[in-house]
Amino acid sequence: MAQNTKPTSILDSLGEEIIRIIAPVSICMFMVVILVSVLDSSSSSSTSASVNSIATIAYAETNSDSSWDKFVGALLNSLVFVAVVTVVTFILVLLFYLRCTKFLKLYMGFSAFVVLGFMGGEIALFLIEDFSIPVDCITFVVALFNFAVVGVLAVFMSKMAILVTQAYLVVIGMLVAYWFTQLPEWTTWVLLVAMALYDLAAVLLPVGPLRLLVELAISRDEDIPALVYEARPVTCNGSGAEGRVAQRRVWRDRGSENSDHESNNNPNANSVFVENVDSGSNSTSNASVVPDSSTESNTLVSGHNDATLVRAEEGWVPERDAELSAPLIDPRMNIQPQQSELEGIGLGSSGAIKLGLGDFIFYSVLVGRAAMYDFMTVYACYLAIIAGLGITLALLALYQKALPALPVSIALGVLFYVLTRFLLEAFVVECSLNLLMF
Amino acid sequence: METGSQAHTTNPDRNPNPNNPNNRNPSPNRSSTILGSSPLWPTIDGPLGLSEEASVSYARSFYSFGFAMLPWLWALNCFYFWPVLRHSRSFPRIRRYVVRSAVGFGVFTAILATWALTFAIGGKSLFGPVWDQLVLYNLADRLGLTGWS
Repeated sequence: MAQNTKPTSILDSLGEEIIRIIAPVSICMFMVVILVSVLDSSSSSSTSASVNSIATIAYAETNSDSSWDKFVGALLNSLVFVAVVTVVTFILVLLFYLRCTKFLKLYMGFSAFVVLGFMGGEIALFLIEDFSIPVDCITFVVALFNFAVVGVLAVFMSKMAILVTQAYLVVIGMLVAYWFTQLPEWTTWVLLVAMALYDLAAVLLPVGPLRLLVELAISRDEDIPALVYEARPVTCNGSGAEGRVAQRRVWRDRGSENSDHESNNNPNANSVFVENVDSGSNSTSNASVVPDSSTESNTLVSGHNDATLVRAEEGWVPERDAELSAPLIDPRMNIQPQQSELEGIGLGSSGAIKLGLGDFIFYSVLVGRAAMYDFMTVYACYLAIIAGLGITLALLALYQKALPALPVSIALGVLFYVLTRFLLEAFVVECSLNLLMF
Repeated sequence: METGSQAHTTNPDRNPNPNNPNNRNPSPNRSSTILGSSPLWPTIDGPLGLSEEASVSYARSFYSFGFAMLPWLWALNCFYFWPVLRHSRSFPRIRRYVVRSAVGFGVFTAILATWALTFAIGGKSLFGPVWDQLVLYNLADRLGLTGWS
């Protein structure tokens, strides 16, 4: 019975974990790019000025303004937006503190339904009109209703297949991101930078709302009431032998299990732990976590928020997507070998990297906006964002605390966009024109 | 390494869930049936999914909610409990609901697909002027649903 326990290398487990985060992010970005390029080829850029939302409340960009005016207007828009997001996040923290979880769940379910039903329906309508698909309204209504209701069930109300939940989260991110790309151009870019700065502040500052939220959740050992994409945990060995159901949530209620000895839920704990110790790395594989004082739950979180805006009949109602706060949480792994309890990688209790949905959305907004210019910028921004995400994951392994996932990626993405658009394009075009390089 | 192998020898069924995508175990899927035992986990997620008792209630509630014009929920019910469908002798309590969900999904999809295809392929020649009133892009134009208005 020797061969089965061939220890997998760090590269396997670590690489697998990273791939399981990068794959959905890439899929989301890819879908947004496709949507943008398919749908925007029909409409001109001037129609984007007609989008009314909380993000353009201060200034509506028109084509005739000077660059400085546009910039100042975009700055005002972004400040208003960030202010609204801050206020709503604080309200969310307050509600969480007062344990109004029922209300939060209902609210999140409602906004997910609106996003999937209305935004999804509108985008589907656009596509149907563009391609003149002869769908009748009865079929369409039944399909949309199914899609939206099951989406709400899958994401919030009940346990569903992991693949289905992840797919719906990616779809929600895609729909919101597409909506954001409809904002005017300057506003979009300044908004991205503003949100990256806000993310940095909200997660790292001691008074930051996201940090408060995470600390509250950790101390109570509850889930953050948010839309969080959780990657499937990597199990290095044959899994699930002992007949115990592994739990995927990070801050599992430890009171329900024996809290004195961990490594209980999942038989893999032993084998995985052994492998980790054998491989000699305790902190690098799957980015171990800081031990908590109260519970053994170690988590790495990076947070960031997002707000979705829902168009009401007449006015524009900013709807706080509380759920879109984004923890980039690391698998819980107790790296102190002197303690006998252990939670290895890919453990039931969490063992998965979590990335908030707001990160998905803003990455996709950046790439979608780049797609509105040219595909060259798309490639450059995609690489920049993935590099930024990799750096963030590495920092997560290093610092072992909640980290914002936006700033590095957005900074690199914006930088690469500017460089590509103004420098690289000129270079490549000239080379092509002079038949030097194609 | 003894801890590792110990964890293994206590495992009577080396590959209990043939559908677990995380499983890197090279042993074949049949090992569970070789021992004559049904798969250990009723859900497609394996050990990350539900236990058997919880599965029964979930399967039942998915099945009953599907009657609210939600065939997609029935389909996901079948997808989620795929091991139950595949191994015909396992989990009899869950299997009742899952099989009925599959049947319901099949029937509903057949009806809906028939209608949709008839509508799309038949077109105006079959329906006459009603087609123009039912087709979606006309309806959307009339109601002004598009354009982010």
